[in-house]
Amino acid sequence: MSFRHVDQYAAVVSPVTRTVPTARLLGTVTLAAGSAALPFGAWMPLAVLFLAVLLIARAARVPARQLFIRTTGPFVLVFLASAGLLVLVPGEPLFTLGVLKVSSQGLERFAFVLGRASVALSAAVILVSTTSFPELLHAFRELRLPHVVTASLGVGYRLLYILVDELERLQRAARSRNAGTGSTTRRRLLVGITAAGLSRAFSRGERTHRAMLARGYAGDVPALFSQSWDRRSTLALVMLVLLVGIVLGGAHILS
Amino acid sequence: MEMLVVVSDLSYRYPDGTAALNGVSFAVAAGERVALLGPTGSGKSTLLQHLNGLLPATAGSVAIAGITVVPSTLRDVRRRVGLVFQDPNDQLFLPTLLEDVAFAPLNDGVPAHEAAHLARETLAELGLAGVEHRAAHHLSGGERRLAALATVLVSRPAVLVLDEPTGDLDARSRRRLVGLLLRREETLLVATHDLGIAESLCRRGVVLHEGRVVADAALGDLLVDRALLERYGLAAPLE
Ligand SMILES: Nc1ncnc2c1ncn2[C@@H]1O[C@H](COP(=O)(O)OP(=O)(O)OP(=O)(O)O)[C@@H](O)[C@H]1O
Ligand SMILES: [Mg+2]
Repeated sequence: MSFRHVDQYAAVVSPVTRTVPTARLLGTVTLAAGSAALPFGAWMPLAVLFLAVLLIARAARVPARQLFIRTTGPFVLVFLASAGLLVLVPGEPLFTLGVLKVSSQGLERFAFVLGRASVALSAAVILVSTTSFPELLHAFRELRLPHVVTASLGVGYRLLYILVDELERLQRAARSRNAGTGSTTRRRLLVGITAAGLSRAFSRGERTHRAMLARGYAGDVPALFSQSWDRRSTLALVMLVLLVGIVLGGAHILS
Repeated sequence: MEMLVVVSDLSYRYPDGTAALNGVSFAVAAGERVALLGPTGSGKSTLLQHLNGLLPATAGSVAIAGITVVPSTLRDVRRRVGLVFQDPNDQLFLPTLLEDVAFAPLNDGVPAHEAAHLARETLAELGLAGVEHRAAHHLSGGERRLAALATVLVSRPAVLVLDEPTGDLDARSRRRLVGLLLRREETLLVATHDLGIAESLCRRGVVLHEGRVVADAALGDLLVDRALLERYGLAAPLE
């Protein structure tokens, strides 16, 4: 499973991982919000933001290849979702696809949406590549997300891995008995594995609940961590916010 | 002698009607190490969950340090009984080991920084210093076992109850675990079908079969009783 490796760069020490997770999370939000707030046609400012993201990726030691591969999935979604712009934006027709006329304005809007998305997505990929899930949870906690939310995210996170493990074991067991060669048998196998997986998920949940009770659980998962900000994080975040602010301001003045 | 664990005539039926325990009685003295032996499905796990009040007795009773296990005493009982589950994954449900180990002290009202300190100390005692910020799925099977053990040792329970603690361990991790347990002073109750582990940890054995105690004797005597071991599926018959 690919998500097994989601937090693989968290262990790499870099200028980015030396900031507190909350600063990383806020930085990501700043970049995403900044790119979303750019007026249409502000290509230069967009390029500046994109360059900034690439530099941050570099500082975080996230290889460009990795960045590219990880953004592809969500990027395709954005691509499909905004393809409508090509034909919906009125303007001079550039070329026709069957009955659909693609206007040059439509093409530009479409390209701009993709550009903005790639800034936000790359920033998000850098965040999850440099920040482990537990750290992200601390960040959420620091930003005062309700405790119920962070606590259930925490328990859910472990449960997810346990279930994936279980599904993989079921699948391996079925495969090792040469199951699933024809397409109908494979479909039936999938149904079987899903059903077995679900029933295991339920009994797993029950056993985990008992394990919690055994250790004095009384309806609340108490938080252990509180983390302190340091100067470095503040400085990094302030610089990023300034950069995005300047770029945005410039873009709005120019347009 | 002061009896720390007293199980009297305990019976339990699962909601689906399976009679898992049928009048189990035995007692464990403070400081004793007892192996709970029995073939698969004999009721070992079911019995252990009663020691912690996780399952309510259908008939009979359990008392820990003189406290009868009833809903109103669960808090006190659970503080005294440290139960390590058969599958460590059931026990490690938080994002990092440190949080998992600090879970019980926090529930007990220990302030966060102190709970974190206790958790670190316990993990270090078990040789897990350095992995405390990892998630359980980034650990090996053996480390996960030790981590599950840490989650209950941190509360300094009077009785340590282990369900099949060596299930998926290799010989070396097994020896390590035995060494660790032998150095501890807690009263120990270990459910297992691994006679080797039972022998290296315990002096006394209680054999369970179809929810009944069928033998309760010095382990040395039990282990040479070939007929008994074969009858209850604890040893394969000789060819
Ligand atoms: N949740 C449940 N619902 C119904 N019956 C159950 C449940 N859990 C266990 N049983 C049944 O109760 C009996 C005792 O099970 P238990 O798990 O206590 O055995 P065990 O001695 O721990 O076995 P093993 O050595 O395989 O772990 C078995 O017949 C089992 O099928
Ligand atoms: Mg069992």
